Amino acid sequence: MNPTREKLTLETQRALRLRRENPKSSHQQVTCFTSGTSFDYASTRFVYMSDHLHKGEAQLVTKAISRMLGEGSAGVLVSLMALPESESGSLRVGSRLLAIESGERVGTLGAAELDEEVARQVDQFLSSREEAKSIKVGEFAANLAELARVQLLFERIEAEPRLVIAGAGHVGASLARLASLVGYRVTLIDDRAEFVSRELFGSPSEQGIDLVLAENWSDAVRQAIATGRRVSVAIVTRGHKQDEDCLRAAISRNPFYIGMIGSRRRTNIVLDKLREEGAYEEQLKKVRAPIGLDIAAVSPEEVALAILAEIVAERRGGSGASLSSWRRP
Amino acid sequence: MGTIAQDDLYRLIGEANARGERVVVATVAHTRGSTPQRRGAKMLFFESGQTAGTVGGGCVEAEVWAEAREAMHKGEPGLHHFALTADEASEEGMVCGGTMDIFLDVWENS
Repeated sequence: MNPTREKLTLETQRALRLRRENPKSSHQQVTCFTSGTSFDYASTRFVYMSDHLHKGEAQLVTKAISRMLGEGSAGVLVSLMALPESESGSLRVGSRLLAIESGERVGTLGAAELDEEVARQVDQFLSSREEAKSIKVGEFAANLAELARVQLLFERIEAEPRLVIAGAGHVGASLARLASLVGYRVTLIDDRAEFVSRELFGSPSEQGIDLVLAENWSDAVRQAIATGRRVSVAIVTRGHKQDEDCLRAAISRNPFYIGMIGSRRRTNIVLDKLREEGAYEEQLKKVRAPIGLDIAAVSPEEVALAILAEIVAERRGGSGASLSSWRRP
Repeated sequence: MGTIAQDDLYRLIGEANARGERVVVATVAHTRGSTPQRRGAKMLFFESGQTAGTVGGGCVEAEVWAEAREAMHKGEPGLHHFALTADEASEEGMVCGGTMDIFLDVWENS
């Protein structure tokens, strides 16, 4: 065991014991392990407040959340919701810890070892599809027997999902409007200025749509995707040459979802071409082509709906089947 | 009002706290059965009486409202259990029958 951790754990246990034995005068004893602690442990950056009643704690958390969302990273806000009646220690309902995927932490649940165990759950929770989860400490940290019945709330904090649309024709434009309504931050790209003019997307609900005039499809697509995390890409340009360029660019950034419009035959031609160029089979398999769920869409708006339905299903883990299908096996 | 984007939500809380005001945040922590909102849904209550977001309509919201007023007054966060049993739900003319745990948190710069 890391000596720092061992020391911390013992100190925390001692503080909790003292607190239990003498609840009235325990405040100072408890701060002995949380007071102003700021240290490096196993390459993780800890940011401790002097204790959980620190002035301005809420402000630190809200500021950190804004910064985190602005940077496009994700984290988990963990709140202490309920304590068993027997618990008279240092813990307090309403204390909170923000654990960011980078390893940074802001705030505290009131016990260093509890923060530690909670931080270990961050990756797992973020890779699940849950938005929020009520959980007792005993369910994930068997070693903290004293705190087993402490009830926590885990909440996913992350920027709204993004959708990059290559091609602002009828389908692309409809998809941009629909996705924006559903809560996606949309970037709409075309190489024809009149298709990405603000006049076409001027209503208040369309103001959030980023319009990009591409000089070069590949560069524009790569730039819009950026790191690729939580980004979906819909390739709906007017021709296969452009589709091909966009697909090549999109694959290089490994976004969460890539779909490309076209008939089975036409999309196969593009995929074969990329295969010949040496694209990985793994990456090509991920490409949804033809794009969208089968709802027999005809109009551009319906096609946009079919595409968005597939993107939402991919994000939320849906099958795309009718909810009523169990009735008629 | 429907869902609030997370960046707006924490910005609103932060701004109110910076003005020295308390904000009560109701969050759907757990649901069983058929309920009007998903886990993680939030409703904010400001000192001014304004609200943002929703944790579900009808009688749940009225009860949450009452508890939130209490939390605002006392400054004490807590976990509350709300039942929408079939009987109650049908009496209220509601479509849902289930239970919801709602956490009422108090954000302030103490």
